[in-house]
Amino acid sequence: MEEAPPSLPLRHLDTLWFQVAGTLCNLRCSHCFISCSPDNHTLELMEAPRIFRYLDDARRMGVKEVYFTGGEPFIHRSFLAILESALQDFPVSVLTNGVLIDEAKADRLRRIADGSRFSLEIRISIDDYEETRNDAIRGKGTFRKALEAYKLLYDRQFLPILTVTEMRDYLSPQGEERDLHGRYVKLLRSVGVDRPRIKVIPIFEMGMLPAPAEQRPVTPEMLRELDPDTLQCSSSRIVAHDGVYACPILVGEPEARLADDLEGGLRDCSLYHSSCQTCYVTGMTCKNF
Amino acid sequence: MGDWKSLLMNKNYRRVALFGGVYNNYLALGELMRECRASRVDAIFCLGDMGAFGPHPDRSFPLLRSGGIQSIAGNYDVSLAQGNEDCGCGYTDPSDNHFARISYDYTFRNTSRENKKWLGTLPSSLSFGLGPLKVRLCHGSPRQINEFLWDSTSPDHLLSGFLDSAGADVLCCTHTGLKWHRELPGRKHFFNVGVIGRPENDGRTNVWYTVLEFDGHGFRHEFRPLRYDHRRLAREMRDEGLPEEFVETARTGWWTTCLEIMPSRERRSGRF
Repeated sequence: MEEAPPSLPLRHLDTLWFQVAGTLCNLRCSHCFISCSPDNHTLELMEAPRIFRYLDDARRMGVKEVYFTGGEPFIHRSFLAILESALQDFPVSVLTNGVLIDEAKADRLRRIADGSRFSLEIRISIDDYEETRNDAIRGKGTFRKALEAYKLLYDRQFLPILTVTEMRDYLSPQGEERDLHGRYVKLLRSVGVDRPRIKVIPIFEMGMLPAPAEQRPVTPEMLRELDPDTLQCSSSRIVAHDGVYACPILVGEPEARLADDLEGGLRDCSLYHSSCQTCYVTGMTCKNF
Repeated sequence: MGDWKSLLMNKNYRRVALFGGVYNNYLALGELMRECRASRVDAIFCLGDMGAFGPHPDRSFPLLRSGGIQSIAGNYDVSLAQGNEDCGCGYTDPSDNHFARISYDYTFRNTSRENKKWLGTLPSSLSFGLGPLKVRLCHGSPRQINEFLWDSTSPDHLLSGFLDSAGADVLCCTHTGLKWHRELPGRKHFFNVGVIGRPENDGRTNVWYTVLEFDGHGFRHEFRPLRYDHRRLAREMRDEGLPEEFVETARTGWWTTCLEIMPSRERRSGRF
């Protein structure tokens, strides 16, 4: 008989994510782990009052930090007001593709950051250090836009984090990239960034990627051999418009949905998905560092 | 983390000195002892992480073990005592971990068995009285030995929760390497007491410690700069074959390694 996947208790809710833009995005990438696009309404935009209520709960529960992701957070009309409000009580990180950040928005973000005692981190994602390959996945002009946004923020005293995934050529599996980190350092230096920050995320075999040849879930025995604190689901949850999920990777997955509200979302989560194995093996965290 | 002990000291003081992160900087530790004797503090507390970064780990221990300092364990101390494979600092970035590894391997090789055993006897936290105030010491946070509590990423409600759980009026920790203080509702205080092992990423070569005092005028605190022979430390680090990046930090006062874990606000005030 097949062994049931193990469950992991939440040690403490330290990190609260908001799927603020649902699965809605200004881009239509040829690959996205939750298939976001301008017309994917699987997860809707979150309403601001709902977010404020969650933030009140989070403060009461002693949450340490808040992350906003999507979709693309900047398509949300109230996003800057939400951000400003969250920053009064929490350090905040925002995950964006950067395309909608122009000079005016960068100035506004600087003012918002200056109005808070807490750190505002901005993460800008791209898919390749080569423009043509990036744009083939993300759409024409997205590479330049993302780099422009990085520089606009950098010139306004932010230290944005360029977020990239490991690369694998599915047509020639041996040809994996070496020194990926170094490639991105070089890229950022080429546009005048002296202090690049880069986060490399391992490949999660989901979304539009080919399904893994063999499903390898985490077993109870594997979990016994690991300090559970190294798994992000021991200290974080994500809320979307329709409730609370175990982690940002599995947001929208019915089996990862834990509750309607934050209180209920504190219950154990199941490590049922093959992505749980990726976190287990790589020590991956969706947090900044 | 093994069998941790929390030590409740039935003692009350008027003026105490606190510091963290010796990081093998036995020269700064010697200076600190001299200053504390001169300024007549009632007690000296070390909040852990005796090893890392600097040269000759075993040279710090005679001072730490002479009875003049009350110490608690940091993550480094637990790792050394338990023979762990890494320092347990809590870094996630590969370049942070690269330098942490070099530092830990060096310190592990050069710390005597007897001193490692002594590290294993240290309590994980400690409480004492300062006038009418209850003071609690820990390394990272009361709940996690390697938790990074930076000024810009520690919300008030989190710190107040720590103080309430600890039943303390004043909570002191270290681990990040940067000192800061926040007064919280109910006249509670949180301190990161700083470290004497490496300078504070501000282009100055001195290190910092903290003095807390309760007298007829109430509660006071002071962050005190500590000067030591940083040129000699840099020379000895180089002679020991430690990375030039570490030497540069001791020489210039700018952090060159383990930067990724820093929040942007703290990092922005540094050079790298």
